[in-house]
Amino acid sequence: MTQTSSPTSPLGRLWKTLTSLRLTLVLLIMLALVSLVGTVRVEVFGTLWFLAPLGLLVLNLTACLIRGLPQALHRSRLRLTPEAALELPERARFAWPQNRAPHAWVEGTLRRELGPLKKTVIGEETVYFWERGRFRPLGPYVVHLALLVILTGALMGRFLGVEGSLTLTEGETAQDFTAEGKEIPLAFQAHLDRFQVFFYPDGTPREFRSDLTFTKPGGAPKQAVCRVNQPVSFGDYTFYQASYGSVPRLEVKQGENSQIIEAPEGQTVQIPGSQARFRVLEYQPDLVMPEHGEEMHLGPAARLAFWEDGEHPRLVVLLQKHPELADQQTGPYHLFLQGAKYFSVLQVKRDPGVWWVYAGFLLLLPGFYLAFLRPAERWALALARTPKGAWQARLLGTAPRARETFQDRLKRLQELLQKGGAA
Amino acid sequence: MISQILGGVMLAYLAAGFLFLAAILWSSPRLKSFALGLLVGALAAHTLAFFGRWLASYLQAAAVTPPAGFLAKLQLIVYQAPLSNFYESLVFFSWCVAALSLLFLHRYAESFLGVVGGLLASLVLAYASLGVDSRIKPLMPALKSNWLLVHVITCFVGYAAFGIAFGAAVLYLVRGFTKQSQGPALPLLDRLIYRAAVIGFIFLTLGILTGAVWAETAWGRYWSWDPKETASLITWFIYAALLHARLVQGWQGRPIAWLAVAGFGAVLFTYLGVSFLLPGLHSYLS
Repeated sequence: MTQTSSPTSPLGRLWKTLTSLRLTLVLLIMLALVSLVGTVRVEVFGTLWFLAPLGLLVLNLTACLIRGLPQALHRSRLRLTPEAALELPERARFAWPQNRAPHAWVEGTLRRELGPLKKTVIGEETVYFWERGRFRPLGPYVVHLALLVILTGALMGRFLGVEGSLTLTEGETAQDFTAEGKEIPLAFQAHLDRFQVFFYPDGTPREFRSDLTFTKPGGAPKQAVCRVNQPVSFGDYTFYQASYGSVPRLEVKQGENSQIIEAPEGQTVQIPGSQARFRVLEYQPDLVMPEHGEEMHLGPAARLAFWEDGEHPRLVVLLQKHPELADQQTGPYHLFLQGAKYFSVLQVKRDPGVWWVYAGFLLLLPGFYLAFLRPAERWALALARTPKGAWQARLLGTAPRARETFQDRLKRLQELLQKGGAA
Repeated sequence: MISQILGGVMLAYLAAGFLFLAAILWSSPRLKSFALGLLVGALAAHTLAFFGRWLASYLQAAAVTPPAGFLAKLQLIVYQAPLSNFYESLVFFSWCVAALSLLFLHRYAESFLGVVGGLLASLVLAYASLGVDSRIKPLMPALKSNWLLVHVITCFVGYAAFGIAFGAAVLYLVRGFTKQSQGPALPLLDRLIYRAAVIGFIFLTLGILTGAVWAETAWGRYWSWDPKETASLITWFIYAALLHARLVQGWQGRPIAWLAVAGFGAVLFTYLGVSFLLPGLHSYLS
């Protein structure tokens, strides 16, 4: 790619900029700064302020891959040959008297320190050689490829996926869900059979679950339980237990008239045929109060704001087990709590990109292993007779990216080889 | 009981840190080995306290919902790992700092590592015991996941490694300003910053990945630009810049040290800043 354009032509300069590390560093710092703004203003991640540097980083990564990967592949295919091994820098020399051929002992020592090694004879010389981390040069490219795969998955999710939510009251059936204000058909029916919440003794929720039944047109119904951390998949979609709320049933009496109203928590409801409105602020299935060191269970309770036109809202507390408290309510209306049912809020999602994201995650692992934990290391030991007939060994080796490991090993090898009677 | 042990551990870390400092100032190998023994002992007690709290947390949960069968027991044990609130995370962070500095000490035998590790670990533990609610609370449904354990462990090992890189970087910069000759050589500090940053980077990445997988199963979104996620991404960008500058561009010394300082600032922002200043899924405000 670069051969066709000289480094001074505009194209060549562009290529040089795209593959430069300076660009990478500038982009990383820019992304960090924009993200800092994003911690308080999430919208920034949808704007060019974030997407432009991210897009440039993708170009930068791709360009570096194109430029470096072929060379890295080539280098990782080059095995250490005896000839190449003899070209490694010399690190130490050892000698043995001529009547004691040290071959077996030297080989054993090297094998214990380094592991399986290769051996060959070139002319008068016996060469033992060993290498590790041949695939190290691929490491950074595998990491960068993994990042590109993850970003591809994210893009697929953004453009091919749907994400919305579905609110179902117990006993309700849905054929579509809401995503970004639009109704999207499910191509099947979802029915909430039952919703349950379990509480800890201190009243915080321990677990909540939706028992769902899915039915495809003409298909057999399929039942599934959806819990937090345990999503359920049906058809193209996955359902996640997001949250829940209550729909208290209230009886509203006005003189002789009486009507039943179902009012979901948090929604303002108008009493039919009147100007009075109310909103259930909170519903508790069992109100627990401490009483003389013991817990008193007061049963279902609701707190609501009630107001008529032109009046200030009043707070009203209703206890199902104590309907007599309604006598304290002023005005023509008297409200009674008659139990409640639950509604369940499910997150609905279809994301074909998520498997790409996961594949990228998995690919990162061997990438990190190669890049950081497998530094290239090469060793050789050439054993031959000196002109005077004594045995002499030359220890050769290199590890450009792991100098400490290399020095440690060199020290150990020197000690070991000298222990074996070498002078 | 556990909090008393942790109080003792905190003092022992503090003492070990100062003993290491004294060992440098008077170049005394005896003081150094004494400090090392103290650090090892304190870490052992800390480990004991950690598992003690795990047991207490398990027993408390088992009293509410008795597990039926071996597998259910095992599941409950994993869920109840003491890593689920701010206090527990601080205790574990402190443990990671102490353990990691010991590992580095084993490799490099440089007393200043003991100073950095001991003081940082005791500081974190002091904050945990003095200013944070330490009650064991029942787990909310979203935290009941096997991913909690891996996610928190990987994140905090990463944070601890960044902490050690930070300590080495501060020392590097201070020595650059004061031009004193005592203490570790600059090239060694430079190498240590890099080593610790690599370990931190690997674990932070694993932490982000496990968090993403968990978020996908819990909320149906592997990434939702929650402030904590964003802050961890900022941290990741900074250390990625550090590693590239060092590995490819060959930067050494000061600029790398400054990046390590900035990176640890981002770590603190991720860990504490976000949790207290901004609302979100990871907030420690309740």
